[in-house]
Amino acid sequence: MPQRPELTAVGDLAFSCRSLSVEVSTKSGPKRLLAPLDFSVKKGEILSIIGTSGAGKTTLLRVLGGLVPPMPDSEVLAAGVPIQGPPDRVLMVFQDYASSLLPWRTIRKNVALGLETQYHGEELRDRVDAALDLVGLKARGDEYPWRLSGGMQQRVQIARALAMEPAVLLMDEPFGALDAITKSSLQDELLKVHEQTGATIIFITHDVEEAVYLGDRVLALGGVPGKIIEVLDVDLPRPRSQIMTKEMPEFLRLRHRAYESVVEAELRLRTDQ
Amino acid sequence: MSQPTAVTGSTGVSRRGRRAARRGNVVPLRGLAPLVVGLALWQIFGTDDSAFFPRPSTWVVQIVDLAKGGTLWPALGATLESLLISLVVATIVGGILGIIVGASRFVDRALNPTLEFFRATPSSAMVPIGVLLLGYTLTMKVSITVIAAIWPILLSTRAAMREFNPTLLDVASVFKMSWPRRIRTIILPAVSTAVLLGIRVGAPVAIIVTILIEILTGITGMGALLAQSQQEYNSAATFGLLVMIGIVALLFNFLVGWIESFFTRHLPPA
Amino acid sequence: MSETMAIHLARTPAKKKRWYARWNWTGAATTLVLLILWQLCDQLGLIHFAYIPSPLQIVGGAVQLLQEGALQAAVAHTATVAVIGWAIATLIGLILGTIMGLSKTVWTWTAASVEVLRSFPSITFVPLAVLLFGFSSSMELVVVIYAAAWPVLVNTLEGVRTISPGLRDVARTFHLSVWRNIRSIVLPAAASKIIVGLRLGLNLALILALAAEVIGNPEGLGYGLTVEQQALQPARMFVYFISVGVLGIILNAILQLIVWWTLPGITALAERGRKS
Repeated sequence: MPQRPELTAVGDLAFSCRSLSVEVSTKSGPKRLLAPLDFSVKKGEILSIIGTSGAGKTTLLRVLGGLVPPMPDSEVLAAGVPIQGPPDRVLMVFQDYASSLLPWRTIRKNVALGLETQYHGEELRDRVDAALDLVGLKARGDEYPWRLSGGMQQRVQIARALAMEPAVLLMDEPFGALDAITKSSLQDELLKVHEQTGATIIFITHDVEEAVYLGDRVLALGGVPGKIIEVLDVDLPRPRSQIMTKEMPEFLRLRHRAYESVVEAELRLRTDQ
Repeated sequence: MSQPTAVTGSTGVSRRGRRAARRGNVVPLRGLAPLVVGLALWQIFGTDDSAFFPRPSTWVVQIVDLAKGGTLWPALGATLESLLISLVVATIVGGILGIIVGASRFVDRALNPTLEFFRATPSSAMVPIGVLLLGYTLTMKVSITVIAAIWPILLSTRAAMREFNPTLLDVASVFKMSWPRRIRTIILPAVSTAVLLGIRVGAPVAIIVTILIEILTGITGMGALLAQSQQEYNSAATFGLLVMIGIVALLFNFLVGWIESFFTRHLPPA
Repeated sequence: MSETMAIHLARTPAKKKRWYARWNWTGAATTLVLLILWQLCDQLGLIHFAYIPSPLQIVGGAVQLLQEGALQAAVAHTATVAVIGWAIATLIGLILGTIMGLSKTVWTWTAASVEVLRSFPSITFVPLAVLLFGFSSSMELVVVIYAAAWPVLVNTLEGVRTISPGLRDVARTFHLSVWRNIRSIVLPAAASKIIVGLRLGLNLALILALAAEVIGNPEGLGYGLTVEQQALQPARMFVYFISVGVLGIILNAILQLIVWWTLPGITALAERGRKS
C-alpha cells in the first residue's frame, strides 16, 4: 500500500518517524514487531490508529511514549528531538485504567501524582480541581478508586494526564472496556478537551467508527510485523456530533474504507498463516 | 510457626456489620457464654485449696500478690519491650529481605534452601543454640523471636513484589519519576499493605516465641514468672498468669489487627 | 494473536522443563558454597565464635551420636509423640470444627470462646501441663494435642462455613443423610482449607513437642539439645538442631504425600488457584 508523503514543516510536527522498526528478543530468536514505518503527526491533530490484532499498535504507541526503544536504525523525533525515554509533555493513558491508578490514594491525590513535585498547597489543589472539572469528577475527589465505576476510573486517568497540561496525549484503547453510552459521552468529552487545550491526541482503538468520528486522520496498521496499510484523511467538520456527523455520507464513506482496509488485511493475515 | 487468621464472622446486613465484617472480627459475643459459664461453675463448685484446680478467685489473689511483691509489672514490661523491639526489627528485616527476594528471581532461588531450612526449624529448637551463642540476653531473645516471626512478613512482601502491577511502573516512567520518588510513592505503599498483613500474622508468633524463651531461660518476663510459679507448685498463680498472658496476647493481636485495617482502609471490603 | 500475547509467549518457556531444569541448582550451589565458606572460616580461624562448630565437626558429632544410638532414640521419640498427638488433635479438631461449621446455633454460642482461647499462646499451657502431669511423656502428648487441635479446628470451621450455598442446596435436594452429607459433600468441599489446618497442626505439634521436651520431659530431640547445650558441646548440639529441621521437612513431605495419594484432585485444584 502506498504511503502518503508528509509535506508539513518540521516545526509543526509533534512526531516524525522514519524507518521506525521494533524488534524484541525471544527464546526462539529476535522477533520483529514493527516493520519499518514512515509517518508523522502534526501538532494539534487527532490521529486514530486502527488495525489487525498483533500488528504492533500498542508497541507503536509505547515507542512514541518513550517506553520502548526502537531499532538503532530508526529515526523517531518528538517535536524535532530524538526520543530517549518519555519525551517532554507527552503523556500516556493506559488501557488497563484500574491498574494504573494508585489504589492507596484518593482520586484527588491520584490526579496530583505528576504535579506534586512542582506545585504545592493552594496552587496544587487548584490545578487538580481544574483537571477533575475537565472530566466532571470534582465531586468524587476524596474517594478511593475502588469506589468508582470503570468509566469514572478511566476519566480519572485522563484527568491525571491532563493535569500536566501535556502537548501530546497517547491513549491505548481508552474506551475499549466501557459500555456504549459511557463510551460516547467520553468520546465527546475528549473532543471538548481537545478543543479547549489544543493538545495532539494519538489513540488506538478497535472501534473503526470511533476512529473516524474522533480523528483528523486514521492510520491503519496491518500484518505481522505491522506495516502501514492505509492513511485516511478525515475531512469531516468540527465540532462533531454523535448523531449528525455519523449520518453524513462522507463519514459513511470513510468508515467503509477504513473497515475495508482492516478486513482485507485481516484476511490476508489469515490466508498467510 | 504461624497461626491461622481470624475467623470471619457472618456479614451483617447493617453497614456497621459490613464494615466490621470487612475487618474480619465480627463474632457474636454470645459465643463467650461457654467460657463465662465454665468459669462460673468452677468458681461455685471448686475449692480454694485443690492442688491442681483451684478456683478462679484464688487466681486473682495470687496475681495481686505478685503485683504487690513488685514482680508482676516489671515482668510485663520486659515481655512487652522485647515483643515490640522484635516486631520492629522483624518488620524492617523481613520487609527488606522480602523486597530483595521478591524482586530478583536469582536471589530468591539462591537463598531458598537456606531460608526454607530456617523457616521449617521450630524456634524452640533454636533457643538452646541461642543461649550457647549469645547467652541469656535481650539480644538473644530478640534475635530468636525475629527469626521466628519474620516469615509471614518476608513471604507476604515477596508475594507482593512478585505480583506487582507492572502498569504502575509504566505510569512511573510516563511521569518521569526519579528512582527515589518511584520507590517512595509507588513501590513502598504497594508493598506496605503486604507488610502489614505479614505483621498481623507474625504478631502472635512473636508473642509465643517471646514467652517461650522466657519460660525456657528464665529471662525476666511473664513467661519466667509462669515457669517459676509452676516450679513452686503454685497452681493458682499458674492459672492466673496464664489468663493474664492470654488477655495481653488478645489485646495485642486486636491492636495489631486494628492498625492493619486502619492502613488498608483504601481497600474495598474483602 | 494479539501482540501482548505474542510478547508473553515469547517470554515463557514453550514446554515443561526437563527434570534437571526443575531442580534448584542455584539454591543447591549457593548452599554448598556457604557451607564451604563456613568450614574455611573455621579452619582459617577467621571467625572465632567460641561456640560455632564447623560443618565437619558437626558431621563428626553426628557420627558419634549415631554410634551411641542417642540420635535415633531421640528422633524416634519426638517423631512418635508429635505424630500421635497430631493425629488425635486432628480427630478432635475435625469433629469440633465440622459441628461448629455446620450448625449456626453451635457456632453463635461458641465462636467467641474459640477466638479467645485460641489467642492464648499455646506455650503458656506447658507449665500448667507440667504442674498437672509432671515431667513425663504424657505431659508432652497433652501439650501437643492441645496446641495442634486449634489450627485444625479453626481451619475446618472456616472451610465448612464457607462452602458455597449451591453445594448445600445439592445436599438438600438429594435428601442426603447427615453422615453422607458430611462425607460426600462437606468434607471434600472444605478439603483444601482443612489440609492447610492439618499442615499447620503438624508444624505446631513438632514445635510444642520440642518445647515440652526442653522444658520438662527428659526424652527426645529437645532434651538432647538442652543436654548438649549444658555440656557445652556445640557440635553435638547442632546435630540435634539440624535433625529437628530435617524431621520437620520429612514430616511435612509425608503429609504432602498422603494428601496427594488420597485426594489427587486437590493438588491440581491448588496448583490452578496458585499463581506462580
